[in-house]
Amino acid sequence: MDILESVKMASKTLLANKLRSTLTMLGIIIGNASVIAMVGIGEGAQRFVSGQFESLGTNVLFIVPGNRDAQRTTVDLPRTLVLEDAEAIATQVPTVAAVAPQLHSRELVTYRNRNTYSLMVGTNPDFSIVRSFDTERGRFITDLDVKRNNQVVTLGVDLAERLFGNQDPIGQQIRIRNVSFLVIGVMEAKGSVLGTNYDDSAYIPITTMASRIIGKNSPYGVNLTFISVSAQNEASVDAAQFQITNLLRLRHKITREDDFSVESQKDVLEIAGTVTGALTIMLAAIAGISLLVGGIGVMNIMLVSVTERTQEIGLRKAIGATQDDVLIQFLIEAVILSAAGGLLGTALGVGGVLLIGAFTPFQAGVSPIAIALAVGVSGGIGIIFGVVPARRAAQLDPIVALRSA
Amino acid sequence: MEHYSSHSPIGIAQRDDDAVATTIVRLENVFKIYGAGETEVQALADVSLTVEQGEYCAIMGASGSGKSTAMNIIGCLDRPTKGHYYLDGVDVANLNDTELAHIRNRKIGFVFQQFHLLPQSTALENVMLPMVYAGISTSERRDRATEALQRVGLGNRLNNQPNQLSGGQQQRVAIARAIVNQPVLLLADEPTGALDSKTTQEVLEIFGELNASGITIVMVTHEPDVARKTQRIVWFKDGQVIHSHLTPSDINRVATS
Repeated sequence: MDILESVKMASKTLLANKLRSTLTMLGIIIGNASVIAMVGIGEGAQRFVSGQFESLGTNVLFIVPGNRDAQRTTVDLPRTLVLEDAEAIATQVPTVAAVAPQLHSRELVTYRNRNTYSLMVGTNPDFSIVRSFDTERGRFITDLDVKRNNQVVTLGVDLAERLFGNQDPIGQQIRIRNVSFLVIGVMEAKGSVLGTNYDDSAYIPITTMASRIIGKNSPYGVNLTFISVSAQNEASVDAAQFQITNLLRLRHKITREDDFSVESQKDVLEIAGTVTGALTIMLAAIAGISLLVGGIGVMNIMLVSVTERTQEIGLRKAIGATQDDVLIQFLIEAVILSAAGGLLGTALGVGGVLLIGAFTPFQAGVSPIAIALAVGVSGGIGIIFGVVPARRAAQLDPIVALRSA
Repeated sequence: MEHYSSHSPIGIAQRDDDAVATTIVRLENVFKIYGAGETEVQALADVSLTVEQGEYCAIMGASGSGKSTAMNIIGCLDRPTKGHYYLDGVDVANLNDTELAHIRNRKIGFVFQQFHLLPQSTALENVMLPMVYAGISTSERRDRATEALQRVGLGNRLNNQPNQLSGGQQQRVAIARAIVNQPVLLLADEPTGALDSKTTQEVLEIFGELNASGITIVMVTHEPDVARKTQRIVWFKDGQVIHSHLTPSDINRVATS
C-alpha cells in the first residue's frame, strides 16, 4: 500500500471525526501560534531597542561614572566624573568631534499658575550635535550662555506645550526651582530614547545648572550624570574610546579598577541584544512547552483512537494489512493532525504578529526560519508522539482485536 | 506488489496446474498450546484435517472444543505451536507476520459474525478495502468491487453506508469483501450468528451459490440448521477432531450423543 493511499485513508478518518480532530489540533495550533508570535515579539523588541540606539547616532560614546562590573561586586565607588573631565576630553582627545557633559535632575518648572516636574538637562551646545537634536524655533544654548551662566532655557516640544499651550513660549520667563529662566527656543520632536522623554525635558547651560539649580555636589567639581561624545567618524570610535579611557585614568589617577566606563553604541547594543535575546529565548521556550503539550495531546487522542478502533484494526489485519500498513496509517493520521495544526497555528501566529506590529511600537518580524522550524517541529512532534499509538495499533493481535466488542 | 495471473471469474479459485481436485487445507498433527508448565492448555491436540477444493464444510463443536483455535490457524491469524499447515500447497506454519498478512490478503476471504464493516465507508469502499492492501489500481478496484456486490445481490446499494443497510445486507457486503480478491478459501466464523432466520436463509443461499461456482468454504457454526446446508461437517471436541466427515443427516445423532 503506498503513502498516497494511506494519506487518503487517514484524511477520511480524520474528517469523519471533525470535532475531535479540530480539538486535537488546537493544542498544536496554540503551541505553534505562540512560538511564532513570541519569537516575532522578541525580534520586534530587539529591533525596537536597536532602533533606539541607532537613533542616537552611530559614532556616539557614553562616559558613565562608576564601574559597571565593579558596582556589581564591590561597594559603589565614589563618583568622580566631573565637568573638567569633559573639558579635558574636548581639548585633549583628537578623535572626538563634540563633547556634551550632561547633568540631569528632575525639577519643578513653573509658568504663571502652571507647574510640572520635568527633567532638566544641564549641557552645552555640543549636545545638539552629539544627539543630532536641533531646535524647531528660537535657538539652543550657546557657548556664551555656558560661559556666562545665563539663565536661559530651551524647552522640549511637549513641555513647551504643557506650559504654554498654543502661546509662543519664546521670550517668556519660566521658573525652575524658583529660579527665573528666559525661554530662548523650542526643540524639535525627538520622542523617547531608552526611557528618557527628550520632548518633555528642558535644556539649560550646564554651568547654570551647577551653580543655580544643583550646586557643586562633589569635592572634585561638578559631578556629571554622564558625558555624551561623538567621535569624528565611525572609524575613529574605537580610537576615541581608547584615548578617552587613558585620559580619564590619568586624570583620576587610577591604578586598578576604573571608576568610569566608556561605552560605545556597539557595547550598549550588545548588552541590550543580550537582554532581548535572552527574552526571546525565554518566550520561545515557554511557547515551545505549549507545543510539547500539544504534541502530548495528539498522542493522547491517538491512543484513545487506537483503543476505540481496535475492531477496525483487527479487520484490516485479517484482510491483509501488514503491521507496517497499520503503523503507517496511524502515524500519518498523527502527522496530518500535527502538520495541519502547525500550518493553522503559523497562520494564526503571523496574524498575531502583524496585529501587534500595528498596535505597538514593536515592529515584530515574522522570520521564515521560525515558520519553517515551527511547521517542521510540529510535523516531527506528530511522528514522535504518533509512534507510540501507531506501534500499539500495529502490534495488536488480530484475533484479540476482532473479538473485542 | 504482485498481482494475480489468473483471470478466472470472480471467486472461482481455479488452479492452472492440475485438473484433479486439489487439497486447499491440510493440517498435519497440529498442536496449539497456550501457557506453559502447570497452566498449560492444549487448545488443539494433534489435529489433522484436509479440505479439498470445492468443498463446503462446517466446523462444529461445543465452546472450548478448539474449533475457534482451528479456525484462527486455518485463517492464518495464528500459528500452530507444533505441526504443519499447508494452505494451497504452501507450508504457512512458519511464515512471519508480514508473510501471513499477504497470505490472508490473497488466499483467504473472511466473513465474521459481527460483519466488521468500516462504518464511515460505503459498501463499495468496504469491498474495495482488501484490494487496497493488494496494491490493485483504483479503477480495477472499483470494477471488481462493483462486480462482487452485484454477485451478492447488492448492485443497487453500492454507495450506502453500513448503517443504511439491514443486517443481512451488511453480511452480504462482508461476503462480497471476502470474495473480491479471489481467495482459494472462504472462511466464515459464525456468519449467521447475528442474523434472524430469514436473513440467515439469504446468507446461506449466497454461500450455496458461491460454493456451486467453485469456491471452497469452511464455516464455523454451532447451529445445526446452518450446518445442515453444508456438504460435510467436522466435529471438534476437547481440542481434537472426533468426526471429520459427517454428513448433514448424521448431525442429530452426534449432537445428542
